[in-house]
Amino acid sequence: MESRAVKQKFKHAPLSVLKLAVLASLGFAMIFPFLWMAVSALKTRQELLDFSVILPAVPQWGNYAQVLLDSPIPRYIANSVFVSAVTVAYQLFSGALLAYAVVFMNFRGKGALFAVVLGCYMVPGAATYIPCYILLAKMGLLDTYSGLIISNLVSIFGVFLLRQAFMQIPAELYEAARMDNAGHWKTLWRVVFPLTRPTFISFALIALIACYNNYMWPSLITNSPDLSLVSQGLRHFFIESGAYGTNWALVMAASTLVTAPLLLLFALIQKWFIASIGADTGVKG
Amino acid sequence: MLSGKSAPGRILFMNLTNPAIKRTDTAQTDERYTKLRHMSIVPALTVPVGKQSGRYKNPKRILIVLAFIAPVLAPLLLFWIFPTFSAGYISLTDWDYMTPAYSMTGAANYTKLLTSSEFAQALKNTLVFCFSSAVLTVGGGLALASLLRRAFAGNGFFKALFFSPWITPTVAVSLVWMWIFDPQSGAANAVLKFLHLPALQWIGSSQTAMLAVVIVTVWKSVGYAMIFYINALDRVPKTLYEASSLDCASPWKKFTKITLPCISPTTFFLCVISVINGIQAYDQIQILTQGGPSGSTRTLLYLYYQLGFEQFDMGRASALAVVLLIITVALSCAQNLIAKRFVHY
Repeated sequence: MESRAVKQKFKHAPLSVLKLAVLASLGFAMIFPFLWMAVSALKTRQELLDFSVILPAVPQWGNYAQVLLDSPIPRYIANSVFVSAVTVAYQLFSGALLAYAVVFMNFRGKGALFAVVLGCYMVPGAATYIPCYILLAKMGLLDTYSGLIISNLVSIFGVFLLRQAFMQIPAELYEAARMDNAGHWKTLWRVVFPLTRPTFISFALIALIACYNNYMWPSLITNSPDLSLVSQGLRHFFIESGAYGTNWALVMAASTLVTAPLLLLFALIQKWFIASIGADTGVKG
Repeated sequence: MLSGKSAPGRILFMNLTNPAIKRTDTAQTDERYTKLRHMSIVPALTVPVGKQSGRYKNPKRILIVLAFIAPVLAPLLLFWIFPTFSAGYISLTDWDYMTPAYSMTGAANYTKLLTSSEFAQALKNTLVFCFSSAVLTVGGGLALASLLRRAFAGNGFFKALFFSPWITPTVAVSLVWMWIFDPQSGAANAVLKFLHLPALQWIGSSQTAMLAVVIVTVWKSVGYAMIFYINALDRVPKTLYEASSLDCASPWKKFTKITLPCISPTTFFLCVISVINGIQAYDQIQILTQGGPSGSTRTLLYLYYQLGFEQFDMGRASALAVVLLIITVALSCAQNLIAKRFVHY
């Protein structure tokens, strides 16, 4: 058996080298935009216009310094971090309550409630943009942090994810907690939450990333640069720098600084993150 | 689960007689039982079922349930359900957002929208965009997954590499791609030159702008499809391959006769997801082309944005929103139905 396995391994050895070469070139092509972004930010204008210059003669670290110290980009990053942290915290909290009610409580109209939530999942967000815009205008919340946050309080995806996890909890454990006269609130946070913590974390990460990157809706309801999230802010920055012909080095530096935190975070947790994407959000098939 | 609209009698009996159903909805069952008992539809039960019912009729209990569902339900009603119906209503008016006055125009917005050449062009663009990005994303995802399927050193590294574009902000990476697509000093034309191919105008020409948008979209989403395929390939029963090896089946035959059918639910799921994402694509189009040149990358969603938030033609934009809603719901329903029918465990 063993010798056969070894033989097979050798038989496939040339193929593996080929495979590795294919993978390496594909991988390079995939991360080329990131590398190009980070390197272009270090070039002078002349170097940028000549593609044959791969690396800058003298790295212009000043471009990064200028974006960090003398541009609104850090402010946009802070806006995005703040808005997504508050939004996701509420989405997790409310999603956990609803998922708990749907899985563990008995009440009239539960099926109907879940059918409505399921129905909303199919509605493309864009279909609601005009009425939501009008609603926020009437509430006087256009162009405010509150408007950004309250129009995005529900994550139906999160409710599904948590419901899925709660359903895996053995009924006996839940019954035991209830026998001990633990209230629903206590049962949720002392029994159910510790058992499903990985799902809470993976949903929080996915939602944080989505919220941080969000562009279309925030750009429709906010106008003042002070409130811009990173995506909209980057576009402002790009258009403004374009007054005298786009200063690509600065735009690339800004894009790199906006993207880097996400890539770093991902590098730290990638194994776990990829596993949870495939396992939790997918269909079984 | 019991829902408000299901045939009460039948489900009631199923719940009372079926020991397999563990957590019966006692409150509902009791009440329905009493009601039906009064109407002499069901015979009296010997077992007293009403013992616990006081707990369920307790107003405090109702408050607790409300407290658990309201944090989602209130924003959901306000920002999803009400706006969806509201969009339907606005689509029947000629409102322009600037003035409070409007009148009902019936289906006029729909006929005007559906017969306009803009709509026809946007529909064609959406089909081309969704089809090509879905095929390339799903096909590319399967190819990458097949390469990474067997564990080897560095396997996880490549997975992370291919997946990383998915988590980055579309606006930021679209700006880089814009620079890559620059006809004079961009990387894309340098690659073409290296391959001795003619240079392209990329996002500057209506011939190639859509190609550029598709490339960015596929680059961003192919790693996501790959993750699903790696999991699906793992689940194909090994015994099938072993059996076919005894029959001396060629690798190609194994792939088409065993692998493809076994992973078909994943393929279908990814196709639907890619098409739905394609319908909702906005960020990369807004940054790269703003729907141009001459409308060549204007999809239905982008047309919706232009009608609603550039021209403030709220009626026609809402009519388009309803069309988008119908397309998306139809796709989701098809996905659910087919998944239920064809997924084998």
